[in-house]
Amino acid sequence: MGKKITVDPVTRIEGHLGITVEVENGQVKDAWSSGTMARGFEALLEGRDPRDAPFVTSRFCGVCYSVHQMASVRALDVAFGAEVPWGGTLLRNLAMGAQYIYDHILHFYHLSALDYIDIMAVAAYKGKDKALNAVKEKVVGLVKAKDTFPLTPRYKPDEFCVRDPDMVLSAVKHYIDALAMQAKARNMGAIFGGRQPHYQSIVVGGCTQYPDVNMVAKFRTMLDEQARFVNEVYIPDVLAFGTGPLFPLARAGLGGGHYNYLSYGGLELDKAGEDLVFPAGVMMDMDPAKMEVAPFDPRKITESVKYAWYEQDRPRHPDKGQQVFDLDRKEAYSFIKAPRYDGRPMEVGPLARMLLAKNPDVIGLLKKGAKPGVVARHAARAIETRLVVDACYKWCDELLAEMTRPGFKIHDTAHYEPPETGEGAGFFEAPRGALGHWIKIKDNKIANYQAVVPSTWNASPRCERQYRGQYEESLIGAPVPDPENPINVVRIVRSFDPCLACAIHLIDPKTNEIKKFLVE
Amino acid sequence: MADAWIFLERGDTRTVADHIMDHDPTRGGLKVKKLLGEISRRDFMKFCAGTAAVLGLSEVELISKVTEAMAAAPSKPPVLWLSGQDCAGCTISLAGALNPPLSSLILDKLSLRYHEALMAGAGHVAEATYAETVKQGGYVLCVEGAIPTADDRFCMIGGRPFREMVEEASQNAGAIIAVGACAAYGGIPAAGPTRAVGANKMIKDKTVINLPTCPVHCDHLIGTILYVLATGKAPPMDKIGRPKMYFGELIHENCRRRYYFDNEMFLTDWNDPAQKNWCLYEKGCKGPDTYADCPVRRWNDGQSFCIDCGAGCMGCAEPEFYDGMSPLYTAESERSKNMMARKKAGLIPRLKEDA
Repeated sequence: MGKKITVDPVTRIEGHLGITVEVENGQVKDAWSSGTMARGFEALLEGRDPRDAPFVTSRFCGVCYSVHQMASVRALDVAFGAEVPWGGTLLRNLAMGAQYIYDHILHFYHLSALDYIDIMAVAAYKGKDKALNAVKEKVVGLVKAKDTFPLTPRYKPDEFCVRDPDMVLSAVKHYIDALAMQAKARNMGAIFGGRQPHYQSIVVGGCTQYPDVNMVAKFRTMLDEQARFVNEVYIPDVLAFGTGPLFPLARAGLGGGHYNYLSYGGLELDKAGEDLVFPAGVMMDMDPAKMEVAPFDPRKITESVKYAWYEQDRPRHPDKGQQVFDLDRKEAYSFIKAPRYDGRPMEVGPLARMLLAKNPDVIGLLKKGAKPGVVARHAARAIETRLVVDACYKWCDELLAEMTRPGFKIHDTAHYEPPETGEGAGFFEAPRGALGHWIKIKDNKIANYQAVVPSTWNASPRCERQYRGQYEESLIGAPVPDPENPINVVRIVRSFDPCLACAIHLIDPKTNEIKKFLVE
Repeated sequence: MADAWIFLERGDTRTVADHIMDHDPTRGGLKVKKLLGEISRRDFMKFCAGTAAVLGLSEVELISKVTEAMAAAPSKPPVLWLSGQDCAGCTISLAGALNPPLSSLILDKLSLRYHEALMAGAGHVAEATYAETVKQGGYVLCVEGAIPTADDRFCMIGGRPFREMVEEASQNAGAIIAVGACAAYGGIPAAGPTRAVGANKMIKDKTVINLPTCPVHCDHLIGTILYVLATGKAPPMDKIGRPKMYFGELIHENCRRRYYFDNEMFLTDWNDPAQKNWCLYEKGCKGPDTYADCPVRRWNDGQSFCIDCGAGCMGCAEPEFYDGMSPLYTAESERSKNMMARKKAGLIPRLKEDA
């Protein structure tokens, strides 16, 4: 039996997550991922007008709000029998594109990058900038004065952290720029979304914002600035980290997991919906030589609660899902259910999407000896940001063209009233991965509402077949030379961009030991 | 490390994979693009503030502390930010502030002592700072998210009921701000099984400044904090604790679609350009019943706002939100019907036209 280390909470993520790893001979031998907070939104929706669902589910999460609206309206579109006009789809996609750009930039710079730099390297700065030197002296002074409070929770930088003072300062500079860029990307989304966080214009049947040429021009101009940042700063920075501190991790394939990948597909580039920015597909036990992709079949999704605090007899398809809490359930260790595809745990998110799309950059990484893992995940995220930027330009052009066509429409007005009965599933690729909402309508009201979100896939606990969840599996074998400093554990988990607020629903009274880092 | 940045330069056809995997690790990391000029102190401070604004980082907390120490002015009031049943949307909304940038608030005016997203993970250290600040008193207390009343266990922080923390922290607070609809009046969670309420239901003996809307408008929050700091007191408020400077007028009074409401020209088809400026009553707009300055202030640096984008106002600044405003996107709610009845009875005055 190795030594057990619990990291709870895992910080610099959205929501509450605890990770426990068992370390033996400096390596992770086993791992448990535990969602430690939950709320009750699905119950709240029962009996409501179905058109409230996108608005309410947006509040699952104030970080990735729009994607829930998107999955929700898509479920409603099906249930209402609405056919979204191409103009409506374009408006929705532009709003989603802005969300993608903001979300990925935020994740890399503000949530992840600091795992790879030693900001104390500022102390070794030898430049002549007076202000910087003043800060440097203060940093040193603080340490000398033994005011260690802010230092205490920090994991010690290890050999994978950049210490070059110029490089660290460069990262700091880009961090500042990125902060403004994420805010501006969100403002860009508000042009068609009405405002953000929490867009207002995304409704069943289409979008409410009748566009004009100036809006498109404004969006495009703001997009230019984002494109410059993505191409000239974000991607180069990911490369700098990939060739620097992350290089050995790329070779070693740290944080690989099950090598099962799933994408629901999303973001239409053409009217027929055949050309997608992110194609749908499934890949099991990835074989780099073959890269076989099977079609996605939604009927193969089930959710297991064997190790989650819910009452349920057997794994169910989400459209038959239920949400009754059982806080005393034996063996349970998470509020996150365990979704499985064909009984298997899957990775969702940028890496899954880029592998399934056979993106040449990501495939190139594999061909050259990298294994899917932390590095590939960060690279895939940056690469797909560029794809989304490119798609936004296309949507702008397409929207301008569409606006001039006779009979231009943004909404299916004939199908705006809730049907007496109906059901629908809404699938979408959120920045963090495959997202699904399921709705059942009875007497024109919501009879049942369920959501399976990306972090449910990735952060899930074990299931009946004892498969570990993707976070858990990806931690196996990770080097933890110093149990008091499990920095690789958080690097791996953060590479997935966890978003837990939307994964779950109530707060557990007994296990919500948040704000604790303990080493047993 | 002397190589300047090469990727994406003209003529470089290598892929990301080429760059990463063909790299010679013995040469160290690829140099990040050369700095565009030196980083100024202002930038550095912006960096610190920004980090605090997003999802705090211990390393950065360090630097924040440094700048704080540099300007160790005793007049910088501490801030405690407590998060309960929230979605982080209000924090994200605040992080969207560009003009003025959040940095000026956090670095020059405030000492942000406790923000759970900011405290990088050490439970006991965070709690100690919290306890110390509470003991010291005189801080601005910001509450984000609702408080459950059905059972304390629906929201526990560090093993303690969130309710208890709010009550405790309110005792020595210099000012208390309920950030967003959830903290002000319970918001969406109030409609759920946890019977969530706003902070003022728990804090009986002190003034709570309510800044509803879902999420909070960053201008409302920044402006209110600045007002409190400049004057030492809460801004003039209405009967339900909202600053009159932001919530003094009905959305309806400043609505650009007002003429169409008066003349009962209601948008029924979002596709019809002829209707695109018409009143959104039929689509569930609650503007005639909602006090907020959205039509004047607008959102996201003046980009747009709910009524401008054709969706209508959902009444998120009112205590009855969400339950009392539902259904949102149609005029079928009791509130909407009541609104129309009042209009018919002449109780909603027409826009005064110049003679």
